[in-house]
Amino acid sequence: MFLLPKGSPLFENLAVSKLKLPDVLTKLSNGSFTGYASFVFQSSTGILVFESGKLVSVLLEGQNGKREAGFEALSALAELMVTTGSGALNVYKLSKDLTMCIHALLEGETLYKAQELKLIDIKTLLEKIKEDQMNGCLRIYTDEHSAMIFYKDGNPLGFFHDGSSDIETSSTESQKIAGLPGAKIDLFSTQSADELMGTNLLEVTNIQKIWDTCIALHKSEIDKTNLERQERDRKAVSLKLAELEEQVKSIVGEYVGKVGRGIVDKEMSDNGGNSCLIDVDGAEKFMKGVERAAKLLVSGTNIKVMMEKLSSAISIGKSEF
Amino acid sequence: MEKFFELLTQMNPFDLVQVVFWGLAGAISFYFSIGNARVWTSISIGFFLIFLSQAYGINPWGHYQKLTAFHYIVGTVAIMTITHGFLEYYVFCRTFEISGNKLVVYLSTIAILALSGAFLIINPTPSPNTIRNIKMVENAIWVFLCVMNVELIRKIYSAIKDSDISKGFIAFGIVFLCIFLWRGADLYLQIFQWDQDWQDIIALMTEESTDIEEYMGRVQFSQEVSRYAGLLSGISVGGAFTYMYKLLK
Repeated sequence: MFLLPKGSPLFENLAVSKLKLPDVLTKLSNGSFTGYASFVFQSSTGILVFESGKLVSVLLEGQNGKREAGFEALSALAELMVTTGSGALNVYKLSKDLTMCIHALLEGETLYKAQELKLIDIKTLLEKIKEDQMNGCLRIYTDEHSAMIFYKDGNPLGFFHDGSSDIETSSTESQKIAGLPGAKIDLFSTQSADELMGTNLLEVTNIQKIWDTCIALHKSEIDKTNLERQERDRKAVSLKLAELEEQVKSIVGEYVGKVGRGIVDKEMSDNGGNSCLIDVDGAEKFMKGVERAAKLLVSGTNIKVMMEKLSSAISIGKSEF
Repeated sequence: MEKFFELLTQMNPFDLVQVVFWGLAGAISFYFSIGNARVWTSISIGFFLIFLSQAYGINPWGHYQKLTAFHYIVGTVAIMTITHGFLEYYVFCRTFEISGNKLVVYLSTIAILALSGAFLIINPTPSPNTIRNIKMVENAIWVFLCVMNVELIRKIYSAIKDSDISKGFIAFGIVFLCIFLWRGADLYLQIFQWDQDWQDIIALMTEESTDIEEYMGRVQFSQEVSRYAGLLSGISVGGAFTYMYKLLK
């Protein structure tokens, strides 16, 4: 995405996570805002260009250079705002003419793209721009530097280059870059500002519905993820409990005999399943029940040793939860 | 006390040995029942009652007919209580269920004995024939319940054969086999009216005759079986409980 002139900042670095897109657009629309709002995310940048409160252009560009415009861009922007926890909103007020130039830069007709400056008769080109009374933007750049010249009706509105925050009237920087080896140009043209005014994406798009749909989808994704995580946790707990249960059964079976497993099953069943082993009261009741049953089968000495082993195994098992 | 010692010296040594060993069995089983599940309560009450029933020989008031009859009733209640205990043990081996209130066993036994006593009190003094009938009923119940207990013990053993106490149940099985022979022989004599009580009755009270002389061999054999099996029962039950005590220490 090209670096754009900042103009007069209304808001800068507002946390996107706290904002709702319909509210932002409504506020800018109702305030007859002219300028652009840029949503900066880690993976994408979205630019919304307003002309007197009308949303004339929406562009979303990803890190891979893929661009979306219009309705798709709005939907993608809404999704980004809902799903990412980070992102910043900057809103810059610009003049009507400059806004038109920004629009040209983003969505205008590309007349020249990546043309090497040395292969072009720049003088003739500039004369053509003037003759055709072109509205648009001429971008001069190398791999390291970039400058833009904005035109209205063939006349330069101003100059903008990387590193500056506002439009300049001096062409010095632009000329410097033009003189560098390997300099290239892009030329974009657009409709006039007055013609642009006819477009208002907010009228043809139900932004609230887009936003609500994104919220609902995101919530269902979160719910699904939570459910999956809960299920995974439940399975992990269930597995650990099963291991603990098996350990308890083998201890009791070692001292009481094969009926020991049945005794453990019965006591667990009476105390609400194997989860009683990790509950303080449940474990105590379980142990008492096992001891009472074991008294009918095993000597007192063996019962004492068995209960000590059981107590130790259950304590260790409980600590893992 | 003097009367007690007098009776003690007058007592048949076989019967005395039985009384002592049944008393030992009752004491050890009572020890097991302390702090244990209800099954041992039933078994301990049962063996204690057998001790009481066998101790009629040293009961200074044993000559009262109603008391004699009560001794036999106590013996009947004893084997029923023991069988109840083993039945609960079997249920435990299959279902591991050992709930139940010990107080219910104590109170039920006392209630049955009280009702039996009341039954004797409200009815006429039992004649020797009546007493003999009561004894025969006692023997019949003993024989039947001994068979049942042997089967219960077999099932219990097969369920718990790898636990400490399982060998103790083999000893119990031997006890009940001995009791079966003891009471079975006595019952056999009673059914064919070859028992001493009947001989005494027909000698003194009726004009009935007996064919005992024709079957004297069987009668003597049964008498010896009853005598020695009775002694063995007493010894084996004392030994069984001593062995149990050693196993469960």
